[in-house]
Amino acid sequence: MKPLRMLSWPLMALLLLLSPTLFGGSSALYSVCTTIAIFAVMAYGLDLIVSDLGEVSLAHPVFFAVGAYTAAIASTRYGLGPIETLVLSIIVVLGVVGFIAFVTLRLHSFIFSLVTYAVTVVAMTLASNWAFLGGSDGIPGIPAFEVFGYRAVNEAQLWPIAWGLLLVTLILVVAFRRSKMGYAAMTVHLNPALARSSGISPERIRMQVFLASAPITASAGWLYAYQRAYVSADILSPYFLILMLTAVVLVGRRYILAPLAGIAIILFQERFLSYGAYVDRIILGSVLVLVLSFLPGGLVGLFRDLNRRIGRSRQPHAESQTLKT
Amino acid sequence: MNFLQHVINGLVIGHGYALIAIGWTVLLGVARLVNFGHGQMYMLGAFVTWFSMSSLGLSYWVALPIAVLVGALVGFIMQRIMLNLTIRQDLVSVMIATLGFGYILEGVAALTFGSTGQILDTPLSLRDVYWGDLWFTWQDIAVVLVTIAFFIALKLVVEHSSVGRRVRMVAEDPKLALLAGINVKWVYLGVFCFEGAAVALAAGMVAPRTPILTSMGFDEVIITFVVVVLGGIGSVTGSYLAGLGIGIFTAFFGAYVSAAYSTAAMFVLLIALLVLRPNGMTQSMARH
Repeated sequence: MKPLRMLSWPLMALLLLLSPTLFGGSSALYSVCTTIAIFAVMAYGLDLIVSDLGEVSLAHPVFFAVGAYTAAIASTRYGLGPIETLVLSIIVVLGVVGFIAFVTLRLHSFIFSLVTYAVTVVAMTLASNWAFLGGSDGIPGIPAFEVFGYRAVNEAQLWPIAWGLLLVTLILVVAFRRSKMGYAAMTVHLNPALARSSGISPERIRMQVFLASAPITASAGWLYAYQRAYVSADILSPYFLILMLTAVVLVGRRYILAPLAGIAIILFQERFLSYGAYVDRIILGSVLVLVLSFLPGGLVGLFRDLNRRIGRSRQPHAESQTLKT
Repeated sequence: MNFLQHVINGLVIGHGYALIAIGWTVLLGVARLVNFGHGQMYMLGAFVTWFSMSSLGLSYWVALPIAVLVGALVGFIMQRIMLNLTIRQDLVSVMIATLGFGYILEGVAALTFGSTGQILDTPLSLRDVYWGDLWFTWQDIAVVLVTIAFFIALKLVVEHSSVGRRVRMVAEDPKLALLAGINVKWVYLGVFCFEGAAVALAAGMVAPRTPILTSMGFDEVIITFVVVVLGGIGSVTGSYLAGLGIGIFTAFFGAYVSAAYSTAAMFVLLIALLVLRPNGMTQSMARH
């Protein structure tokens, strides 16, 4: 049984890699799969903060933008390749997140979230006005993704890269949840007083989880820059924040595939069942509000409740059958 | 522009900021909740006023109360949907849900009013007042007077009325207030209605100063946040003084440094404040 279970994950990963080809291999399908993978990676970074640490970070769009802008500036102005721009993105985002974590070290709950929100709003102002970041025109002309001789000039060629990034992210998230830091984060989430009395510093853990989470979201921004070949201030629009948050809560918290499934459901609606940008916005916001207000366990919780109810309604029936016989 | 003109601009903007923030001050002081949809509620208040005047042909004096009613209704609906989260004090979910509400409001507004910028002209904003070298409009005078009257009325209600006493009891201890026979759910609903109404009033008064867009509202959240933190969470008088201080800071920063970065400058000020006194913002509505 165990070897079979060990084999099932690599098989699933391989199936995921081949899925666009299996479903017809159209460029639209490759495009949506690549975007799902990139946005899922973006959401996994936030998932660690919301699901594991139990806080709300509204600065994650900034980390996503840091990855995208670093890739854009380093590739167009300094001619660096994707590996160098990825390393640079991670270094820059660690600097940014280190500053935010230092400032918010002693802040809690809504004050912490408000500061992170303010960081995003200020970043939006900076990106729209600062010439270094291209101002309102943004930074166009990002070269095609090319690493070790592999050149990705279309979505089909970029898909294996996005798939690889998603796979690495999933492995990192699983490793985080099994690590001492992951357990400590959950202890801080569930009972900060208990965490403190067992020698865990909630402030230190929060800083560590932030430092682990931001590079994940930044790496998604890094690949997104190559996918679009263009970066502008709209990368900091509220859409990305709402998208990440909805993906994190929609399916259920702390399920490894939940943010990926959440992003897939949302993007499927936006690409194939779209009612126009404004109605889609209302749908996305409504899903977020309704899930939080009425489905605290997400879709997984809903199905579990339904199963339980069906089970209960069957049980008395079965009992009455037994009594009859 | 001379120094005195900047002071006057600062005072007008400051009164506007205080009025924009007052709903949040009460919300935080009473229910320990924040509303990230506050900025979009401000946007909606401005657009309802504009729409009532330009499309329905109503006068400003009718359009403003309509905006206030719509604001109160939106606040009520928001809180009614999130009531279980509020009662459970599930702050994480409340914060995310209010962001979602803000996003819905932006979508609804863009769908209803269009995404192009509009100008909200009122009978008062079109009438200028010249006083020596100084210039302002009757709308500016109205912003200052309405804000002062609103704050005095609110202070009287909170401190000297039975409604205020109940609200302060809920702010102090919701569970004990429930045992004392106070309907905590209705207090929470009432506070959200008040927040929606207050920010819509602020929008109808302040928005004529700038062009209005359905995508606006983010700066208003930051302004509100800075005013509330600087004034002390839950403090009505503190919010008023903080609003004035931030208004004067914005007027001078905009005039001498950069108008585009004034929100960013406000944020830097806030960060400095939070680093210097992270625990200095825990005043409650109950402790007046």
